[in-house]
Amino acid sequence: MSLLETRERRRTPQTAPPVAARNGLWQRVRAAKWSYLYLAPMAVLLLAFVIYPIFASFGYTFYRWNGIGAPGEYVGLANFRQILHDGIFWGAVKHTFVYAFVLVPVQLVMALALALVLNNPKLKFALFFRTVYFIPVVTSAAVVGVVIQLMLANFGDSAGGLLAKTGVTNGHIDWLGDPNTALAVIIAIGIWHTLGYNLVYFLAGLQTIPAELYEAAKLDGCGPVQSFFRITIPMLRQVGVVIVVLAFIGSFQVFDLVQVLTGGGPYFATEVVNTYIYHLAFGGSPGSAAQPDIGLASAASFLYGLLLIVFSALQVLALRQISRRRTAANQ
Amino acid sequence: MTSSNVSRRGLLRTAALGAGTMALGGGLSACGSGSPSSSADALTYWDWYVTQAPWVDKEAELFEKAHSGVSVKKTTQQNAKYADLVALANRSGNPPDVFMIPQVPSVAEQVAKGWLHPLDEWATPKWQSRFPEGTFLEGANVFDGKVYSAPLKGSAPLYQLYIHHGVFKSVGLTNADGSVKIPRTWDEVTSAAQTITKKSGGKSYGFGFGNADGIGVLAWWLDLFVRGAGAPGGAPTGAATGMDYRVGKWTYGTDRAYADFFELFVEWKKRGFFHPNSVSLSDEAARAFFERGKFGMTVGGVWNQPEWTQHKFTDYSLVTLPSPTATPKGYYYADPVGNGSFAAVSAKTKKAREAFQWLDALTSPAAGRRWVQDLNGVSVYPAGNDPDGIDSKPFAAFVGMTEQVLRGPVPLVRNPELAGVAPGAPKPDISDVVTGIYTGQIKDVQGALSSLADKKFQILSEAVAAVAKKGKKVSTSDYVFADWDPTKPYTTKKA
Amino acid sequence: MTTLSTRPRPRTRPRSRTWLSLRQGRRGLLYLALLGGGLIWLYPFLWALGSSLKSTDGFFSGGLNPIPSEFHWSNYSEAWTQADFSRFFVNTVLFAMGTVVVTLLATSMAGYVLARTDFPGKKIWLGLVGVTLFLPHGYTIIPVFDLIQRLHLLNTLWSVIIVQSAGGMVFGTFLFMGYFTTIDRGLEDAARVDGASFHQIFWRIMLPLSGPMLATVGLFACITAWNSFFIPLVFTLSRPELHTLSVGMFNFIGQNSTAWTLVCAGSVITLLPIVLIFVALQRYFINGLAGAVK
Repeated sequence: MSLLETRERRRTPQTAPPVAARNGLWQRVRAAKWSYLYLAPMAVLLLAFVIYPIFASFGYTFYRWNGIGAPGEYVGLANFRQILHDGIFWGAVKHTFVYAFVLVPVQLVMALALALVLNNPKLKFALFFRTVYFIPVVTSAAVVGVVIQLMLANFGDSAGGLLAKTGVTNGHIDWLGDPNTALAVIIAIGIWHTLGYNLVYFLAGLQTIPAELYEAAKLDGCGPVQSFFRITIPMLRQVGVVIVVLAFIGSFQVFDLVQVLTGGGPYFATEVVNTYIYHLAFGGSPGSAAQPDIGLASAASFLYGLLLIVFSALQVLALRQISRRRTAANQ
Repeated sequence: MTSSNVSRRGLLRTAALGAGTMALGGGLSACGSGSPSSSADALTYWDWYVTQAPWVDKEAELFEKAHSGVSVKKTTQQNAKYADLVALANRSGNPPDVFMIPQVPSVAEQVAKGWLHPLDEWATPKWQSRFPEGTFLEGANVFDGKVYSAPLKGSAPLYQLYIHHGVFKSVGLTNADGSVKIPRTWDEVTSAAQTITKKSGGKSYGFGFGNADGIGVLAWWLDLFVRGAGAPGGAPTGAATGMDYRVGKWTYGTDRAYADFFELFVEWKKRGFFHPNSVSLSDEAARAFFERGKFGMTVGGVWNQPEWTQHKFTDYSLVTLPSPTATPKGYYYADPVGNGSFAAVSAKTKKAREAFQWLDALTSPAAGRRWVQDLNGVSVYPAGNDPDGIDSKPFAAFVGMTEQVLRGPVPLVRNPELAGVAPGAPKPDISDVVTGIYTGQIKDVQGALSSLADKKFQILSEAVAAVAKKGKKVSTSDYVFADWDPTKPYTTKKA
Repeated sequence: MTTLSTRPRPRTRPRSRTWLSLRQGRRGLLYLALLGGGLIWLYPFLWALGSSLKSTDGFFSGGLNPIPSEFHWSNYSEAWTQADFSRFFVNTVLFAMGTVVVTLLATSMAGYVLARTDFPGKKIWLGLVGVTLFLPHGYTIIPVFDLIQRLHLLNTLWSVIIVQSAGGMVFGTFLFMGYFTTIDRGLEDAARVDGASFHQIFWRIMLPLSGPMLATVGLFACITAWNSFFIPLVFTLSRPELHTLSVGMFNFIGQNSTAWTLVCAGSVITLLPIVLIFVALQRYFINGLAGAVK
């Protein structure tokens, strides 16, 4: 096939005239058979293990099933109704939102600050520091949780003891066992664990800002604070929106960290939606011998998924509005 | 890029891929689901016995010596995950040959789901006769006339209050002759805790526990203390347990004993008698803490002892049923033959005969005596519970506590049709509620207890109704024994 | 804007010696702060490393101090042999390698086809994949478990590899798609003129050219597989000899939660390899992330 023909073939629009449609379609399918073949492995894996299960688990939401044998008892929308009235579920939603709404601003501010520092071309070892601050990201949350738990267990002299001596706190604090501090500790560890991602994103974003802008601003007499607000922020807007949305989506999915550190306790003080769904689906321990209820867990998942979709949509809209208004104001 | 470079790279890549796949394939086929990895006659056995592991290992050794060609491959799973793992294993069609019966779902349900293998081929009446009378009960280990399991443990008080001698002595809680002043009533326990916390200068606390694993440790405290106060249901976690059989309901909200204890419990916490890390400590770590004297008293069971003895820590005592008054108004209750079932053979096993032999070995009188001698607990065979020949003083004391377990009503004996009743357990259950009260998250104690009691009763009623629909003659009044006096033994008569 | 030759002096900076040394001092402080911050940042890992070398009693009394009083290297040999960490390590390596191979193959092929060829249904397919990203995912582990069981793959490492790879399909394909779109069409067209077949073009030209992207996607797949916990847990439940490092750790803790020093040693065995791999190949990883975000 010559070059010219290849180009022309590509320029033909997909929609052929209706009369000859069937012939054209079949011919094109046959001509593209290698495309299908090459697409096949990914398509098969995706369809079988991602797409089909979504629909199958949606089916489970209509049954009461404890995971053993086949789902037997059709209960219609009862599972959804039960979840809507479940205090623990909404508590978990609240905890997840608290987690996300504290983690995202704090972590992004820290990441941006660090990125600004590391972006300075005159700073040597910037690569080294970037690596150091990124390392927690590649570590398994489960193993990190174990290590942190041991650290906080107050064996011997520890931070708790030190704080007590300095008078900041009175007495021993059970960081992960006290319902007032447990969630805060988890959030702090969450911030630490994934800060690297946002550091890298911000660095990438900062590097797209041409240096001449800063120089021009300096010549015009702008101080560093002013150039930050007048140049950096507006230029980062686009990538900033993506970063914020990704950060929220990521923090809504928190599971490993919470499950390992507190298992949702004490008394559901740190239960987040994913850990609650996990407990519903796989049952409790003999200590709290609840039977697994897959239907309920699936219903909770779907409900939560819908909540998140709505929230993400709202978020994107809101952020777009803000940036549009700002650009309008600037012009 | 020259074509030779390209082709060489391509070749290398294909070669690497090929080698990789072959290695993977080779490695993975050996791990295929069909073939076991060790000798063909290895029996797979699952349990959750961590502190009791030395006993199990010794039994396995003796068994393998007696039955050449058969080996036992044991896997100890986490207690908190055990039920899930067994369920998943049965679902996947690859369950272990022999396994300790998980507490969830009920044994009846496990039989109904076809998990368990009937043992009558070998568990002849002659075999059954070696056990104490009444061991084999329809609904406990016999279903539809077929035997599925046999017990290992006998009945002794499930929980005890452990007293650390070193801590007590260091704060002066001793009698005139220098022996430790063992608290037996609620007031004595309270004042001991107070003395320890105040006088140890921050080194020790009165109480401690380890609640992190989710095995419901705090419910043990409630259970241990309320029984003596007259609440015969106690506070066990588990479906359909903890009822007050006098009225056939859960009396968390109505029986004063619960409210009184919680008042005391909250008071203890407020006055700082508990080790502050207790909520996030694991149960094992709490045992280690107790050994090192970080707190003076803790609630646990006989399973604590083997580990402490292994670490050469024996300077402690135990009491059970601490009550507001000098004599307890309620006790531990059991059918005289323990809880009836221990381990079972999987219905899917291909070595049923060898599996039964292993089960037989584990539940033999000799193994039972070794169980007692290893300080694991009380054996189902009374002859094995002779305190003579037991080195550990605390354990001998434990074995002597069998009188604190009285015969109580057993609904299953009165109406065997109840065997199919399988209620679930609510979440939060009593262990969660006690935790919530401890941390202060539950402010309306009375309300929480009442609603839990009602919820549990509702679940039971629904389960009973489900069985009744299938034509069996069951009702919630089957759980009412109006003539029961909790301070005396009670013989359940068949209806 | 003045010309380049004569830049006006910035108004606020007298070029005296004291000023220069002040600036250096400030810079030195900055390095110190960054270094200190970095130490605190990595403290948990340093602590785990140090604690893994303590004796049990030393652990108990040492608290947050990361420096062991003596160096118990035996903790590592114990964890490696008695606690079976050697087997977990091998399983994890096999699992990670398998996931990388499957992921790279499937996503590069699919990414190429989506970037460079046109076929009926392409837009529909892209739309479907995009929508799946936004569908609520439900509790999908059970249907996946069922499927694997019916394929008789349960309790094999293959099942874990397949399920883990499936999770990375969308991300990898999009990355490759983006990458292949940027490659000059001329190469392809020239090859086609020379008579190369579809397969030859892909395997001999496009794939080798996508080296950096192979490294990026491969690294992502490797790291997520290494750290994966839930999927290996569910699919190798009844075969402890197939457990990966994270699952083995989890089990180990349940059975021996007071073997604290061994737990730390196990953590180091789990964390160290991936950190080393990352440090060595971080360029690809970070560029991939940055590119994705842009």
